[in-house]
Amino acid sequence: MNVQTRIRRWPWVAIVLAITVAFVLSMVSPKDDVQGELVRIMYIHVPAAWLAYVAFFVTFLGSLTYLLTKNLKWDRIAAASAEIGVFFTGLTLALGMIWGKSTWGVWWTWDARLTLTAIMFFVYLGYLALRRTTDDPISRASRASVLGVLGAVQIPIVHFSVVWWRTLHQPPSLVRPDGPAIQESLMLVALIVGVLAFTVVYVSAMVKRIELIHLEDRRIEIEHSIDRPVAGDSVVVPELGAKT
Amino acid sequence: MTEWGWVSFAYAVAYGSIAVYTGSIAIRIRRSKQIIERSE
Repeated sequence: MNVQTRIRRWPWVAIVLAITVAFVLSMVSPKDDVQGELVRIMYIHVPAAWLAYVAFFVTFLGSLTYLLTKNLKWDRIAAASAEIGVFFTGLTLALGMIWGKSTWGVWWTWDARLTLTAIMFFVYLGYLALRRTTDDPISRASRASVLGVLGAVQIPIVHFSVVWWRTLHQPPSLVRPDGPAIQESLMLVALIVGVLAFTVVYVSAMVKRIELIHLEDRRIEIEHSIDRPVAGDSVVVPELGAKT
Repeated sequence: MTEWGWVSFAYAVAYGSIAVYTGSIAIRIRRSKQIIERSE
């Protein structure tokens, strides 16, 4: 394997290493007095939720910077981050449903945190759909950036929904005024390593997703190019006015 | 289902989804490169 191939593959290797370490730590950490073994779902549910916030915040920054500079590089960053954010939000909802069914006895309840997270998921799905309404990079970036900026309003609302409203969902685990809710040190380490591992997944996916956006833009450019052969060498252009 | 059953289910969903999503990015990169190489 040459050096270039190794460099191209580092994101995949980093993802495997990070989630392996996080998995081992989450399995060796002690069980909770109240939740028992089910507490281990926290080590993947909380990091997924956090990375969804991070991803949508990066989309906000990318969109805002695009609107100010009109440099398409920032729109590409916003778009890549939005898709990864939608992935993490979907994962958060799925893991939350599994955790909810095993602890509350129901897959879903119209709780403020759950409902607002679902709304955020659909708003950013809308952002991705909006990007597909045109192939023109400039108008695509302009439309999407407005939604990318406005959509970020939801991030603090979703996070603080468990504080502002009386909800079934538990309060924040890490970021809270009186410090982290987890007192057992190994459980706290497992949760922090889980967040770091999902951060590695996010950064690695961002690197590859931005590469993909560059390739897709190049592909669209080629498809719209007038010099591109329509049907290859197998088609012979007929001579106009020739005798048959 | 037992507690370990729920935990296994959750981890299968999480790590399975990450594998499928990152795999889809890799496939889309490869396909785009092939289309560009054929066109150039």
